[in-house]
Amino acid sequence: MNHIMKAPKVVALALLSSFVFALPVMADQKNTPGSFQLPAYEQLKLDNGLTVFLLPQHEVPLITVQATVRAGAVNDKVAGLAQLTSQALLLGAGGKSKAQIEQLVDFLGASLHSDGSMEGSSLRADFMAKDTEQMLAVFHQVLTQPAFDAAEFEKLKARQVAAVAQAKESPRMVIDQYFNKLVFGAHPYGNAVSGTAASLQSISQQQVKSFHQSYYQPGNTAISIVGDFKAEVMKAQLQKLFANWKNGEAVQQPDLTAELPKAEKAKVLLVNKADAIETTFSFGGIAIKQDNPDYVGISVVNTVLGGRFTSWLNDELRVNSGLTYGAGSGFDRYSASGTFSIGSFTKTESTQAAVDLALKTYQRLWDKGIDQVTLDSAKAYVKGQFPPRFETNTALAGLLGDMYLYGFNQDFINSFQSKVDQLTVAESKRLINSYFPKNQLQFVLVGKAEAIKDIAKTYGEVTQVEITADSF
Amino acid sequence: MKLKQSALALMLGLMISSAQATEARDIQSFTLKNGMKILVLEDASIPNANSYLFWKVGSRNEYPGITGISHFFEHMMFNGAKKYGPKMFDQTMEAAGGANNAYTTEDLTVYTNWFPANVLETIFDLEADRIAHLDINAKMVESERGVVTSERSTGLENSNFQTMHEELKGVAFRAHPYSWPVIGHESDIKAWTLHDLKRFHKTYYAPNNAVMVVAGDVKLAEVKRLAEQYFAPIPSQPEPEAVRTVEPEQKGERRVYVQKASVSSPNILLGFHIPASSSPDYYALDLLNSILSQGNSSRLYQGLVDKELAVDVFSYLPMSFDPNLFYTMAIASPGVKAAELEAALIAVINKVAKEGVSQEELEKAKNQKLMQFYREMETINGKADIIGTYELYFGSYQKLFDAPKEYQKVTAADIQRVAQSYLKKSNRTVAVLDSAEDKDL
Repeated sequence: MNHIMKAPKVVALALLSSFVFALPVMADQKNTPGSFQLPAYEQLKLDNGLTVFLLPQHEVPLITVQATVRAGAVNDKVAGLAQLTSQALLLGAGGKSKAQIEQLVDFLGASLHSDGSMEGSSLRADFMAKDTEQMLAVFHQVLTQPAFDAAEFEKLKARQVAAVAQAKESPRMVIDQYFNKLVFGAHPYGNAVSGTAASLQSISQQQVKSFHQSYYQPGNTAISIVGDFKAEVMKAQLQKLFANWKNGEAVQQPDLTAELPKAEKAKVLLVNKADAIETTFSFGGIAIKQDNPDYVGISVVNTVLGGRFTSWLNDELRVNSGLTYGAGSGFDRYSASGTFSIGSFTKTESTQAAVDLALKTYQRLWDKGIDQVTLDSAKAYVKGQFPPRFETNTALAGLLGDMYLYGFNQDFINSFQSKVDQLTVAESKRLINSYFPKNQLQFVLVGKAEAIKDIAKTYGEVTQVEITADSF
Repeated sequence: MKLKQSALALMLGLMISSAQATEARDIQSFTLKNGMKILVLEDASIPNANSYLFWKVGSRNEYPGITGISHFFEHMMFNGAKKYGPKMFDQTMEAAGGANNAYTTEDLTVYTNWFPANVLETIFDLEADRIAHLDINAKMVESERGVVTSERSTGLENSNFQTMHEELKGVAFRAHPYSWPVIGHESDIKAWTLHDLKRFHKTYYAPNNAVMVVAGDVKLAEVKRLAEQYFAPIPSQPEPEAVRTVEPEQKGERRVYVQKASVSSPNILLGFHIPASSSPDYYALDLLNSILSQGNSSRLYQGLVDKELAVDVFSYLPMSFDPNLFYTMAIASPGVKAAELEAALIAVINKVAKEGVSQEELEKAKNQKLMQFYREMETINGKADIIGTYELYFGSYQKLFDAPKEYQKVTAADIQRVAQSYLKKSNRTVAVLDSAEDKDL
């Protein structure tokens, strides 16, 4: 809070939230640098179709349990429904009120979180191992028997409506939602995960109940549990709690491969924030999907471009020119598509200088490409920074949940290091030509429109909206 | 390292007490002849390690004209020395698989490195070079002013807390250097000179003014060898002058209003003067902080969010060398006026002072502390951070292992007493952030 840092926490830019780092790795137990491995885990399926991952970790006497449900904004009939449903899980369950559950959980020093994202929803509990029985019971009730109490539901809605307005006070909190909408348009990947004030207002308790019934089913859910437990004991506990959870009607998932848009021309979404003192910007386009076989190599290339402090973008925009505190790039991947974007921010007066320099720096991928020394450095960096990403129970539980959501497994993970090692300069050229959007780039500029609208025109066809307007 | 049955559980005296000595012993320390203290925690759970270099210098060591220079310096430390010129610190570290960051507070400047354990020597080489031979290059200074100006602006653009915080501090402190923001006044960022920077480096970046923590897959003997080779030759300097100014006692409420047109509902930030972290009241204040705002069963959530007066609340107790502030903040629900929110926020706090807290709330806060401690101990990064934090703010990393006792000793009466002593009107500064201009009706 009082900390002022050298660089934005993730240099690749917390701003873009899209810095999806390469996936982990199982490894041998030797502490060879870069050869970190995912500890052994067990995966099973209960008779009702519920997938269970068990990964014991005994460093501290804590446990994380996470449920991952295949339902997100892509399933929204009203914008924000999936996320609101996940939040509404915490409004009381199994005969206990919201306040009673909070009292119980807080008293144990534990926590319960829920969230909805583009393609998945999650419920997570973190607690001390000694409280396993109580916390699993609460977790089970909240996941499978939420009450969706009417009065609490109205209060939650009011808070979320206000939260959308608050998020819009901070350009970096919302620029990704604008970018997704610009790139994906009417496709489900263009859905605003948070919803808008009006869409949230319109959601009824019944809609949330029915969303829960449709998607929160054992056959559509995985539970990953990581921490200080004995696998056999935990298995029995989970079996006892979840075996009677019944499936309802077959889950319907949209065909996300259908009607994926293609950028026909360069476009600029200019979001006017009248009192802005800087311009926050992001540009890029549609890129790769989750299971792209070249992803590891692509992420190494991205490390060179905008994924670390010495990356080209940060070096040019920050270190060489002092235009910004940070610049970076990253991929956001979904099951059927994804985006690539470059982002930064700069004072209003230097908007053009910063965007132009970012574009010019991006062009270097094709003009000059990556030399051997830079590639070797990025490979070492990616490998060296890998192990700490999966050090906590929470991180591991999230990883197992993603495996379920996106259908990858330890084979993919195990090959991480060798894939990094295999990347050559020649191969990097192929990756650049195949996967980094080069033409018809899509731009979002959030700032003082009056001062930057003429600059915006130079990058493509401009649409101007007010940041306070109830949309993305 | 396995902490499972021992120091951890013992944190709040929940388990066997014999484990305490064992745990304190897991941390090894030595001091070089030039005064630099180094703490080492061997932990081979992942093939990585980290180093935290804590320098005892922050915005409290500044004065008007050079405000923000500690933080600026934190940036300059990456801009070239003798062996490793401009950009080479980061280039060398990243090519070795390492990453770094740094942060500045009111009290400290901290440099953090995270790296594969087998490149430990590179880290020592890089750090020693910039400590002993920093090259404060005029061109780099100019470019870095732009970076820091952008850092300041982006904070103000994106964070209401930052916007209010710097205004509140300026009012709550009229004498002590905690008065200005860590990032400094904009005019000072533009104005400090090479001479200011050189003097600053010589005074504060002396080995006798630093503590280093190394945690991870390393061996004490190797850390010692490298410290002797790379750090020991760096000469010590005279002790920096102490911060002399003591903030005079506040005699009545102070207020500040900040207008920002894009704010969608009023924000209220309160700051109450409290003693330094070394005060015995620290533990009671820390538990009070949890009782006020940790979890949805907390006082502020129940009193404001659940009542639909606020959409978000928090409270914050900084660790601090000198007497500082205890903060509480609330963001109004749509339609709730600033005055109404302020009154409700103050009512929640006054209720604790008047009626105290329940035994159950106290137990809850202690359980939350234990959980927080375990989570810090889950990673080598958390371990290095907490060990260093106790060494710096409480005088010794050993105090980490006294903390269980200290928290356990706190009674409900202590919580009420500190609420009464510190969270009172005459000791309070109120900041209001709202969209309308502040004007007479």
